[in-house]
Amino acid sequence: MTRLRAMGVCAALAIALVWPAARAALAPWTALKGKTVLLVTGGADSPRPNDDARVARHLRKLGFVVRTVDASAPASDADGASLIVLSSTADAHELGDKYAQAPVPIFTWNTYDYPNLGLTGPVLHRDYEVIDPIQHYADSFAVLYAYGANITSEISRSVGLKPQLFGTLYLEPQTAGWGRPGPGGTVIADFFGSRTHAAVFTYERDATLADGRAAPARRVAFYLGSDDFHLLTAVHGPAARSAHLRSWAIGLKLFDAALRWAISSPPPDPAYDPAALDARIRHVAPGKRVLFVERVHGGEGHRSDAAIVAHLRSLGFTVRVADQMDPQSRARGMSLVIISGTCSKWKLANKYDDVRVPLLSLEGLLSDSLHFTGRERYRDYGEHGELLESDDPPENYLDIVGAWNPMAGGLKPGLVKFTHHPGVLKWAWPLPDATVIATLPGEPREDAIFGYPKGSRMAGGFIAPARRALLPFDNPTFDDLTPQGRALFDSVVLWTIGG
Amino acid sequence: MSRVRRGATGIRRGAVLAGLAALAGVLGASASTSPVQVLQRIAVGGTGQVRALAAGPQAKHVYAAVGEEIRSFDDLGKAASTVKLRGVVTGLAAGAGDTLYAVVRAPARLVILGVRPLHVVTSVALPAGAPSGVFFDSIANQLFVASRSGHSVTRLEPKTGRRLGVARMPGMLAQMAANGRGTLYVVNGARDSLDVVSADKMTLSGQIPLPGCRAPSGLAMDPLGRRLFVGCGNGHALIVDADLGFTFVKLPIQQSDALQMAFAFHPFGPSGWKGGVFIAGGEALHTIRMYAFVHYANGGKLALPGTVSALALNPAAGELWVAIASAAGAGGELLALGQSGMGGAR
Repeated sequence: MTRLRAMGVCAALAIALVWPAARAALAPWTALKGKTVLLVTGGADSPRPNDDARVARHLRKLGFVVRTVDASAPASDADGASLIVLSSTADAHELGDKYAQAPVPIFTWNTYDYPNLGLTGPVLHRDYEVIDPIQHYADSFAVLYAYGANITSEISRSVGLKPQLFGTLYLEPQTAGWGRPGPGGTVIADFFGSRTHAAVFTYERDATLADGRAAPARRVAFYLGSDDFHLLTAVHGPAARSAHLRSWAIGLKLFDAALRWAISSPPPDPAYDPAALDARIRHVAPGKRVLFVERVHGGEGHRSDAAIVAHLRSLGFTVRVADQMDPQSRARGMSLVIISGTCSKWKLANKYDDVRVPLLSLEGLLSDSLHFTGRERYRDYGEHGELLESDDPPENYLDIVGAWNPMAGGLKPGLVKFTHHPGVLKWAWPLPDATVIATLPGEPREDAIFGYPKGSRMAGGFIAPARRALLPFDNPTFDDLTPQGRALFDSVVLWTIGG
Repeated sequence: MSRVRRGATGIRRGAVLAGLAALAGVLGASASTSPVQVLQRIAVGGTGQVRALAAGPQAKHVYAAVGEEIRSFDDLGKAASTVKLRGVVTGLAAGAGDTLYAVVRAPARLVILGVRPLHVVTSVALPAGAPSGVFFDSIANQLFVASRSGHSVTRLEPKTGRRLGVARMPGMLAQMAANGRGTLYVVNGARDSLDVVSADKMTLSGQIPLPGCRAPSGLAMDPLGRRLFVGCGNGHALIVDADLGFTFVKLPIQQSDALQMAFAFHPFGPSGWKGGVFIAGGEALHTIRMYAFVHYANGGKLALPGTVSALALNPAAGELWVAIASAAGAGGELLALGQSGMGGAR
């Protein structure tokens, strides 16, 4: 009986561990049949020609019940809808922010409305822009192409998005919009090879928007113009046998996949529950071998390293300590490599960058050598609070922007006290495949906690052989962590070792 | 054959579309926005209707299938010669050199004719079923016969008519087109799609969907084999990028369940349109203007004095012919079309 109960607990824990990922999958189309979509257009004021009728037909063909209203309709019209679709024919000023707090997923190609929804900042040309053949003739050719920026999101996987060019719209100069999402956003595809010019980007529910608020439901921004839905690329007939063409002409597939993602159920809200987290990590730890790489007998930070190792062992992990000068072969047979903030970047050299097991770096300055980010120090990665090495003051808070992700430990969006005392905090600006969990306060581009899933495209085209994560854990003594800081540490370890 | 209406000097070879703009005034241009107008109406004679047309390989004659006969008319609209076949002729196609192909419904046969003078060279049985159309790909030198009732398209050797392969294709097969590189396209009105056939093996290599298109029947292709033009029964013309199978333009046209289409580069001479699509069906001839390979616009519509039964275009000679079924009891007519002096769509 006891054994059976134990098995039941194990099963429940296992389900709890995999539950977020399982629920986050794209819903099958059959499950979406009959769901109501509110299509908001410009109505009689729409520019002509436009593709709103085509979009409505397409949505019906996918099985949705489509209710079309114009921009002046009250937000309450969305009551009962499973998805709000905002066409660019709707006047953004008329729309205002009426749907910003709608607890219903939104799929929009109304670029001028992005700031109203908090999807981007408010500054035209810097935060968002509409390229059209009249104002921007040359660029209206350039937007016929976009790059796959993220290859591991559910949307990306479902269309087989690759880190390469693809055709967005059919061959004539077209109208298309881009936006620069906030740190909680995920750039799926970008124009001009720049992640600040996102062609398609998303926010998970509870992800922090560009205006600092948390997304009340999923949000998708797509590059379309008012009259080019019918020009979203696709390939048919014998040409569809070509793998190259199939991965080139994916505009319509991407539209459908993004739509499907928007209306699919998001993962359940993780709750901040240190006891449950502790139970989960203790469930996972036995049998897992962790290589902790530190500056052995290094003096500074040694106490912190010892505390981390002790903590990991107390959870049930088998921990081996390696010196920074030890060969990478120490990682053989390990389940996780953790690189301590006491390691010298110079001495560690390029070790562990290609280790085939998950890796957690507590040292942000290794972000270039580990392919987490670009190569320019203080632009791609840097630090706060290091005497003589940083212009920025010591810090002990983090801003949670990816609350939806298990790495956030159930902490709510916004500021969280990470350590009791201000100190050194490192940051990096990862590529779009990374999920950003926390930034430094007031620095949306300085990401303190993030993780790359296995198979991600990292800097320099490096493909992550296993999960990679950064946690800015430079030299604080482990005991200085707040309970929230401890939860973040455990959550990041738990996520990283899972793949 | 009698001439119903005729221009002052008749129709000179190679000048119908490009050179007869001046005649428009003489013949009385209508208020149509079409870039073409009727220059000459030629009664076919008797009570027979024209089922198929082919422009002569050397641009000297147009050939009309009327019942069991093939009649040729010269560039003055005068009946030149007639050949009687054993069965109703359902399709005509101009071949290479002086060759003309005709298909006869019952008994199902392909007839290969010479045109100097018009005579039967040989004929072969078509075991795949009653033919509904014949198409010659002049670039690839490939000959195809479609059989709607036999649900097939047969490829034949152009000189002898020897059967080279058969593709089984259920559906409502209509007009055919080819890219000159071994790919045949067939409109399938039952599936609202284009069937794509690999001509080498005569196997169906795919289907191209036609979004928003119902009961397609007309099909043409540019000579470079990059664009397909499809006429749909529900009043749309689609322009398809053949490289991708992607429809990127949809324009309104007349509704008809029997559309016939043709395409020509520079149909009005080198300084005129880059390309033109001619869509005949119902009682109208619609035109679509090609500005660039990715840019098209409605070119205008010409009301015709009867229901279209056949269309032929000889782009090299600048000749456009339409056969119409006249009122009951009267025979069919051939219409020679030329550039309108109105130039409304230019």
